[in-house]
This record gives sequence, C-alpha cells and structure tokens, in this order.
Amino acid sequence: MRGILSLTRVEITRLRRNRRYLIFTVGFPVVLYLLLGKQVSALAEGVSFHAYYMVAMAMFGGFSGALTGNAIRISQERKDGWIRQLRLTPLPASGYVVSKILVSMATTVPSIVIVLLLGRFYGGVNLPVWQFLAIAVTIWFGATIFAALAVAIGYRYQPDQVQPIAVAVYFVFAILGGLLFPIGGGLQKVGELTPTYDAVKIATDVIANASVSAGLAIGLVVWLAIFVGLATLSVRATAENV
Amino acid sequence: MSHYGTGDAVQSDGSDTSSSSYGSAKAFGGSGAPVVSFENVSKHYGSLHAVDGLTLDLRPGETVALLGPNGAGKSTSLDMLLALRKPTSGQITMFGSDPYHAVKSGRVGAMLQSGGLMPEVTVLELVSLVTSLHPRPEPVELTLDRAGIGQFADQRVDRLSGGQTQRVRFALAICGKSELVVLDEPTTAMDVETRRLFWASMKEEVAEGRTLLFATHYLEEADQAADRILVINRGRLLADGTPAEIKARAGARRLSFRLDGANEQFLLGLPALVNVEVRHDLVQIQTSDSDATLYAVLDAGYRPHEIEVTGLGLEQAFLAITAEDDRTNGNAQTGDAQTGETN
Repeated sequence: MRGILSLTRVEITRLRRNRRYLIFTVGFPVVLYLLLGKQVSALAEGVSFHAYYMVAMAMFGGFSGALTGNAIRISQERKDGWIRQLRLTPLPASGYVVSKILVSMATTVPSIVIVLLLGRFYGGVNLPVWQFLAIAVTIWFGATIFAALAVAIGYRYQPDQVQPIAVAVYFVFAILGGLLFPIGGGLQKVGELTPTYDAVKIATDVIANASVSAGLAIGLVVWLAIFVGLATLSVRATAENV
Repeated sequence: MSHYGTGDAVQSDGSDTSSSSYGSAKAFGGSGAPVVSFENVSKHYGSLHAVDGLTLDLRPGETVALLGPNGAGKSTSLDMLLALRKPTSGQITMFGSDPYHAVKSGRVGAMLQSGGLMPEVTVLELVSLVTSLHPRPEPVELTLDRAGIGQFADQRVDRLSGGQTQRVRFALAICGKSELVVLDEPTTAMDVETRRLFWASMKEEVAEGRTLLFATHYLEEADQAADRILVINRGRLLADGTPAEIKARAGARRLSFRLDGANEQFLLGLPALVNVEVRHDLVQIQTSDSDATLYAVLDAGYRPHEIEVTGLGLEQAFLAITAEDDRTNGNAQTGDAQTGETN
C-alpha cells in the first residue's frame, strides 16, 4: 500500500506539470460555464439551469480527465515499457492500475472545486455544504467508473488508436447523459441508461431535495462492474505483452 | 563419506538409502541452494519453440553471462525468470519460491531492454520512487553515485540521451538490496568510458555477495566479467562453463598449415580435432589440443609448411558452438529458425 501511495504521489506531480491536462479538465468546463451557465433560465432535471450546468460541467471535466487523459497515458506507458519496468519492482501487479484510479479521484478535485465555486459565486447556486459534498462524492464515484474504462481501452489499444476511441466514447456518454446540454425526446430514453445520466440525476435530485432513487445508484454500480470486467479482460489479454 | 547424516544415519551401517536422500544437496557443491533454477522450461508460440527444455541452476555469488544469437531465446528466458511471461511447461524456482513472489519480495533487481521510464519526472524523482517501492532500499545517493547519474539527477527523464537513459535503467535495477541482479544488454548505447565505469561499479555490487546474470552481445565483456557462461541457441542450452572451458570446448586453437596432397580421411582422424577445412593446399584445423594434433601430423610422416597456431577468442568459440548446432539441427527446424530471427 505504501508503494501504491508513493506512485500515486509522483503521478499527481506529473499531472500538475501537464498543461494540456489542466486545460481539458479545468479550463474547458470553466469556459463553457462562463459562456452558457447563466444564459438559460429554464429548469433542467427539476433544478435551475445554473445549478444543473454547474453539476454537468464539474462532471464533464472530471470524467474527461479520468477517461481520455488516463487511457492515453496508460497506452503510452505500456508502449514505452514503463508498465513492464514497474512489474520488475516490488510494487504488486495491481498497483499500477489501483494508483491510476486513485490519481483520477485526486485529479477530479480541481475540476470539482473550481466549477462548484464558480457555480456558487458566479452562477449564484446557493446550496448547503452537505449538498456540495454529496455532489463531489458522486463525481468521485463517476470518475472511478471512467478510470476503469480508461484501463480497459488503454491496455488494449495503441496510443494513436486510443485518442480517437476514448474521445468518441466519452462524447457519446457525455451527450447522452446530458453533460453538454439537457436532452429530451427519444434520445433521453437511451440516455437514461448511461452512467453519466445516473450521476447527473443523483446530483440534481440532491439539489432539488428529492429522494435519490436506488435505481440510479444501482446503475452506477452496474456500469462500474461492466468496466472493471472489461479492464480485467484487457489486462489479462496483454499480460505477456506489456 | 556420508557426513550429511543425522545421528541416526551415522549409527546405521550401509546407509545407502539415507545418503541418497541427501544426494540433491550434494550437487550444489556446498555453495548453498541455487538462487535460480530452471527445470525443463519451455515456451512455445504455436510451432515456434522460443525456449525448448531449458534446465539450469544459478548459484549464490556467481556472475553469469547469457550468450546467444538474436532469437536464441535469451529475452524470453529472462522474461520468464522475471515473471513477465509464464512457461508453457517446466518450472522456474527463484529463492525457493515462484518468480512472481521472488520479484515482489525485492530480492531481484532487473533491467530489461524493453523496460521504459516514466516521463515528465526528474531522474531523482524516478529513482526515489522506485527506491521507495523496495522493502530494503539502498540510499538514493549511493544508487545515483553507483550508476553515475548524479550530475544529471535534476534533468527530466524524457530529455536524456540513450546512454544516460541506459544508466538510469541500471540505477532502477540496483536501488534495492537485491540478492540477484538481472541485466539484459546492460551496456548497449554506452560509450567506451561509460562501459568501463559500469563494470567497475558492477564489480562492487558483486563483491557484496550478489548474484549477477547478464545477457550481452559484447563477448569480451562476458570473457572478462563472467565466472560462468551459458550459451543458448534455438531455446536450448548448448554450453555451460567458465570462459576457459567454453573456449576449450569449441576447440581452443586454430592450427593452419600448407600441405600438398593432404589426405582428407587422415585429417578427419586426427586427435583432438573439432573441425577441419581444406582449401587447395591450405589446411585449417580447430583443435582442443593443438600440440597433439600437430604431432600426429608429423608422426604420420607429413612435413607441412607455414605452420601457425592461434588461440581462439570467446567470440570465435561462441560462433563455432552455435554454428555447429545450426549445422546439426538446422535442417530439421529451418522454418522455426527463420521465424525465430525476427523475434
């Protein structure tokens, strides 16, 4: 465990030095919120658009880092032989993947904190502290789900393939789940199946003081199980070839 | 001679059964249990036999060179030893346990050609990280010093030259107090001076009692540094001995002379002969005892001229051993050999 924490600490240092990562996970959602957060005054998912978009943008940044950022890095590190090098050290075999997931959770903190602060002070979203915390926990859990998917993609494909695959998969989940804009009509039925929708809905239910349905939480857990399963298959498939 | 016996065994007469139960311990020559043992280990990829029934032991404190042409199965063997690949059949034991647990207990330090480094961090950060993963770490300063990387410790890993990268990889292999160090082509991309420094610091490591296994294609390195050389070809162990023994086995000397009308039957029957080539009147003989071979020529009444006797280096010995193997087994496995070379 000490080894995993050492690795996680160094990984976070690396990400802090990576400007591209910060632009995508923090810059992009902040700009979108500034542009659109106060443009619409309608209700979305039963809460004000200001609050809805705050949740959506915090998730958009956090999940994108967990999925696309992680998948590209994992694939590149596998190609460069860093994963292989780590397997020659006393770090347990699962240590690399566990540390990537911990890093995803840690690096969601800036997106969460900055976007929620923006919502509070720019968007005027006034919530009790426990609600902000509940939103943060939901985003953390969601980031874990997407980090597992990142492992599944990053271990299986070469770096040049990973970029388009991860971005495409991510935008499908982001759009269907309503992270970019609320969706309606027939697509909403499909969208309700996504983990992104489950996460948004849990957060907006918390804000609306509605009771959170167990189905949403079960949905998240099922998606986590699916992606962990896929990740395990990818890691096993490449076990002799890292 | 059965001083292995317990009290009971000493008491009993004709203790054949009890001494035979200690027979396996005797094989290790009193230098302790083997650090590594391969028992009939094979790795097959379809019809390609990358490693084919490899059996060997490494004893504590030995410096062992692993030699073989490209595609001989060196990398696959090292990968299996380090738990990166699983053997198709056979068993590998390291420090009495399986390779995975031996690696995870920090008793092995390794550097592979295919191992990469974490980018975006400094050399110092990387070495400190891997050091912190070890249950028995060496001081980071000592590792930097031994690997000769102290002067660029603050540089980013992704901005180093090939030789510098190689030395950082080496640092990661020695940053724990490992009992076994495994190095695959450690001095590739190093210049002559760096290579000399590398072997000097490696000698310090070995002096502390570590066992060293390294693969190399610089044969003079194997000759100078190794106590023992393993020659593998086509996934099989061809020769195992000290550098001197390997040279002797390959025919340690080359004897050449000019002789008109030499009888080929006679030449093939010469004592200590390993190989003979005749071109016009020039006879070139590889022999494990050049004196005996030459005397036999003279005793038979021949008077050759331009007699020359030269010692064979390890490189020629190595080429002779693998070439002989290819001649003997080449035809049967031509298809495999060609696939193997792309490996």
